[in-house]
Amino acid sequence: MASEAYKNNNAVSGLLNKIKPKKQEKEPKRSRKEEKARFKKRLENLTPAEQKYLKRKRAFDKGWPILRALIVFGLCFVILYPLLYMVSAAFRPQAEMNDPTIIWLPRSFTMSNINDAIRAMDFWNTLKRTLFINIGCSVVQVVTCALTGYGFARFNFKGKTAFFLVVVLMILVPSQIILIPQYAFFRYFNPLGIYHLITGNYINLIDTPLTMYMPAITANGIRAGLFIFLFRQSFRGLPKELEDAAALDGCNPLRTFTQVMVPNAGSTFLTVFLFSIVWYWNDYYVSTSFFTKNSTIALELKNLSTTLKIVIFGNADTAVTVRELIVWMESGCLISILPLLVLYAALQKYFTEGIARSGLTGM
Amino acid sequence: MKKLNISYEKRKGLYGYGFIAIWFIGAIFFFIIPIVKSFIYSFNIVTPEDSRLSQVWAGIENYKSIFLVDPKYRQYLVQVLRDTAIQTPIILVFSLFVAIVINQEFRGRAFARSVFFLPVIIATGPVYAIITGDIETSGSASAAQFTTMFSTDMVDELLEFIGVYGLSDKFTEFMSEATGDILNLVWKCGIQIIVFLAALQGIPPSAKEVASIEGATAWEFFWKVTLSYVSPMILVNFVYTIIDTFTDPSNPVMGRIHDIQSGWEYGKAAAMAWSYFAVVLVIVGVIFALMNKIIYYDD
Repeated sequence: MASEAYKNNNAVSGLLNKIKPKKQEKEPKRSRKEEKARFKKRLENLTPAEQKYLKRKRAFDKGWPILRALIVFGLCFVILYPLLYMVSAAFRPQAEMNDPTIIWLPRSFTMSNINDAIRAMDFWNTLKRTLFINIGCSVVQVVTCALTGYGFARFNFKGKTAFFLVVVLMILVPSQIILIPQYAFFRYFNPLGIYHLITGNYINLIDTPLTMYMPAITANGIRAGLFIFLFRQSFRGLPKELEDAAALDGCNPLRTFTQVMVPNAGSTFLTVFLFSIVWYWNDYYVSTSFFTKNSTIALELKNLSTTLKIVIFGNADTAVTVRELIVWMESGCLISILPLLVLYAALQKYFTEGIARSGLTGM
Repeated sequence: MKKLNISYEKRKGLYGYGFIAIWFIGAIFFFIIPIVKSFIYSFNIVTPEDSRLSQVWAGIENYKSIFLVDPKYRQYLVQVLRDTAIQTPIILVFSLFVAIVINQEFRGRAFARSVFFLPVIIATGPVYAIITGDIETSGSASAAQFTTMFSTDMVDELLEFIGVYGLSDKFTEFMSEATGDILNLVWKCGIQIIVFLAALQGIPPSAKEVASIEGATAWEFFWKVTLSYVSPMILVNFVYTIIDTFTDPSNPVMGRIHDIQSGWEYGKAAAMAWSYFAVVLVIVGVIFALMNKIIYYDD
C-alpha cells in the first residue's frame, strides 16, 4: 500500500516536472516601435479601467529602476562624502587646504599630517589600551548577555516579569542618571563591604580598566539591556524541540546552551559582538566619567584639537581655528576609525545578511 | 547518594535563576543601587567630602531651582523636545523608504547595503561630531558647495518648480529644518533601516503572490500589505528613535547635565536627569499606548 502511494506520488511529481516549462526562452529583441505597437494591440480588447491599470504599471516598471538608481546613488554619495573628504584631507598638505582649485585630489601627497596626529594622540599606546578594554569587554559582555538572554527566553521562574522589567529599564534609563553613583562606587571601592572596616581605606579604581570590565563581566556594560533583549528574542525564535531532544539525551541546561543553542544563534552572536565593539570603541560619555586621562581612542579624539595645538604649536592656547587644524583633525579621525572599518569590511557579509535572522523581527 | 526530589519543572526554574544570576548581581551594584541613590540625590544637596558624598535633605528644592532658576535647562528641554518631534517622523518615513529600496533586487545591492549600514559603525562616536562640524563650519571649497546643495534655497526652488508659491514662513522654516540636513538624517537612520529590512524580509511570499494575482499596484501593495506587516516594527523604531535622540550625548540637555555634574552639583544634576527621564517616559508611554491600537500582529 505504502509503496504504491509512494510510486503514485513519484509519478505525479514526474508529471509535474514534465509540465513545467524547461526554461523560458528569451524573447527576441524588438525595436521600440514594435514594442509600442504590441502594447497597443494588447490594450485593444480591454476595458478602459484595465487599460489604465496596464498603462500605469508599464510606466512604473520602466521609470522606477531609473529613479531608484538615482536615489541609491545620491544617498550612497551623502554617506560616503565625509569619508572620501576625510581621506582627501588627511593626505593633503595644509597649504593646499585653501586652494579653491583643489576639490578632491591634492597636488602632492603627504604623510606628515598622519604622523602628527599619531604623535598627538600617542596613537599606538592608546590603541593598545583601547583594544584591551574594547575587545575584552565586548567578548565577556556578549557571553554574559547571551546567558542572561537565554535564561529569560526559555525558563519559567517566579518573578521573571519583574526581573525582565529591570532589563527594559536598563534600555530606557539614560546613562547619566546612574553615572554619579557608579563613579562613587568605583572611587571608593569597598570589596565585600568589609575592606574599609579592616584597613580604614578605600580602593580607588578610577582610571583603571576595571571600571569598564566589572560592568561588562556582569552583563551591565554599555547598552547591555539592548543586547540581553536581542538574545532573548533570538533564543525564543529557535525551535523548542532542539532542547527537548538534548534534555532527553541527558544534557543539563548549561550543556544544552553551549552545545545546541549557541551554534544555532551564530548570527546573533556576531551582530551583538559587532555592535558591542562599535559602542565601546565610540563611547566617550561613560568613559569621561571614569578616566581622567585620555585613555581611549574616543577620548583622545574628543580632545584632539587641544592636544594637536600642543604638539604642533607647542601651546594649548594658540589661537588657531578648527578650520586651520582640519587636515590634522581628519587624519586623526581616519586612523581612529580605520580599525572599525577594517572589521566591518571583514564582517559585513555576515552582518548585512545575518541581521534578518538575528531575532529582531520577533520583538 | 540520595537524589534530591524536585520536579522537572521546578529544577528548570532553578536553572533559570542560575542563568540570570550573574547579570542580576551586576544589576544590583551597577544599576539598581545607583538608580535608587541618584533618586535620593535629587532631593538632597550633595557635596563631595574626602571619602564620601555628604547629603543634606532639601526636599524639592533642586527641582525648583532647575526649572525656575537655571537659565538654560528649560530652554534646552524645549529645544530637545521640539527637535525630536520634528525628526522622529522623518527618520521613520525615510528609513522605511530606504529599507524598501534596498530590499529590492538590483545590481550593486550588496554594495549599497554595506554603505547604508556604515553610519551604524561611525555615527555614535566623536568622529561623527568632527565630520558634521567640518561640514558646517570648515568653509573649505568642497564642503561649502556640498552644504548649499541641501540648503533652504534648494527647497524653495524645488517647490516653485513644482508650482507651489507663497507658502507661509512657518512651513518653509519647517521644511528647511527637515531637509536642511539630509546628511544628519541619513546618518541617524542606520539601526532603523536594519530593523525595517528585517521586518520586510519577514513578509510571507504568499502575501506577495496573492497581491500580484489580484492585480495590486506597487502603491496599493505598499499601503495594504507592506505597511501592515511592518507596523510592529514601526513601533519598535519609534521607541528606539526617541530613546536614541533623548540619550544622545551630543544633545543640549545631556550636555547641560554633564556640565552641572562636572561642577560637583550632584543633587541638581540628578534632579535634571530624573525630570528629563520622566518626560521621556511619559512621551514613550503615550506613543506606545496610542500605536499599540493600530498595529497589526500576524499571529
